[in-house]
Amino acid sequence: MPQLEQVEFFISQLFWLGVFFVVLFSVLTYITLPKIRAFLNQRDDFVKSHISKQDDLIKKAESIIENYETKLNEAKNEASKLISDAKDKALQDSESLIKSTEEKIQREIKITEERVAKEKDLAISELKDQLKDSATNFISKVTKIEKGNINI
Amino acid sequence: MAKGESPLKQFEIQPIVDINFLGFDISFTNSALWMTITTAFILIFFTVPFLKAKKTNSVSDLYPTRMQVAAELGFNFINSLLADTVGKEGKKYFPLVFTLFMFILFGNLFGMIPYSFTFTSHIIVTLALAMGVFIFVTVLGFVKHGVKFFSFFVIPGLPIYMLPLLIPIEIISYLSRPISLSVRLFANMLAGHTLLKVFAGFVSALGFFGILPLVFIIALTGLEILIAFLQAYVFAILTCLYINDALHLH
Repeated sequence: MPQLEQVEFFISQLFWLGVFFVVLFSVLTYITLPKIRAFLNQRDDFVKSHISKQDDLIKKAESIIENYETKLNEAKNEASKLISDAKDKALQDSESLIKSTEEKIQREIKITEERVAKEKDLAISELKDQLKDSATNFISKVTKIEKGNINI
Repeated sequence: MAKGESPLKQFEIQPIVDINFLGFDISFTNSALWMTITTAFILIFFTVPFLKAKKTNSVSDLYPTRMQVAAELGFNFINSLLADTVGKEGKKYFPLVFTLFMFILFGNLFGMIPYSFTFTSHIIVTLALAMGVFIFVTVLGFVKHGVKFFSFFVIPGLPIYMLPLLIPIEIISYLSRPISLSVRLFANMLAGHTLLKVFAGFVSALGFFGILPLVFIIALTGLEILIAFLQAYVFAILTCLYINDALHLH
């Protein structure tokens, strides 16, 4: 077995193993591995910062949606309030208008009735006077009594 | 494989450049060549995609390139492995576990290329790696806990009279860690490659019926790639567990 027979090359193998192992170890330790680690860390940081940024944006979007919804609700409430107010007012207005119109009509009816009554009275009294006059005339003509002396 | 060649010939070390330093033979061999290729590949594979990687400034920058995804996959794999076994304190030992895993993984995988050389199939290499881990975790344990580290060998809640029996067993099991760690990797690589070579020898020896071993070695190559990954994983996860033991004792 050459592994155990070629003893003369043991020193050579150990020497070159030492050389290459030390070279490999030093270069990896001081150049390659820190480079890889720094790169990976930097990338991880980037990904992490992006994730946190994204979370912030999501939160922001959620608050905007919430804000929008509350505002929408407020506007809806206000609108329905305005509508109901307007309805109430319109109802009130029309009722009062009807009421006042009715009152006006009643008043006019009353006035007209009063006038009619007054004119009726006047007509009756005039009729009475005329009747009185004609009666007086008739009597004075028949009785030859002075008109002024006749009293009915 | 030429006829009559040993299936173990693939593990032979062949010097490419003879180097002699202070009387030591430190020739650049095929083993060293594949260590070079492995090291260079790992460094390119994990560094290049992140050299041009832009900072993530917009969502369109979030799409990584294919190479970047592959590199991140390896990074995150070891990261979660360490987090699962050791926890938060394990982060400090990430480069060590990462280097071990990638070095063994790509060493194993490149060994699957025909005519290449598997440096993890050599006990001296795996033993050196395992001893390195063993010495590291032992020193780590002493640094973290001082003399209290010896309490690691005392299983809590055990009757006193059992201790003389169990403490030596615990110590032996602790000391055998580097051996089991290195032999596991070495033996898996050795057995897999030897088996492949043996069956590859049958292909030419059986003539037309060589198609049967050919199908078998295709399936076996798939299995060997799985084992290449699995052994690197086992080495890495055991290193993590040893680090965890050194940090938390029990």
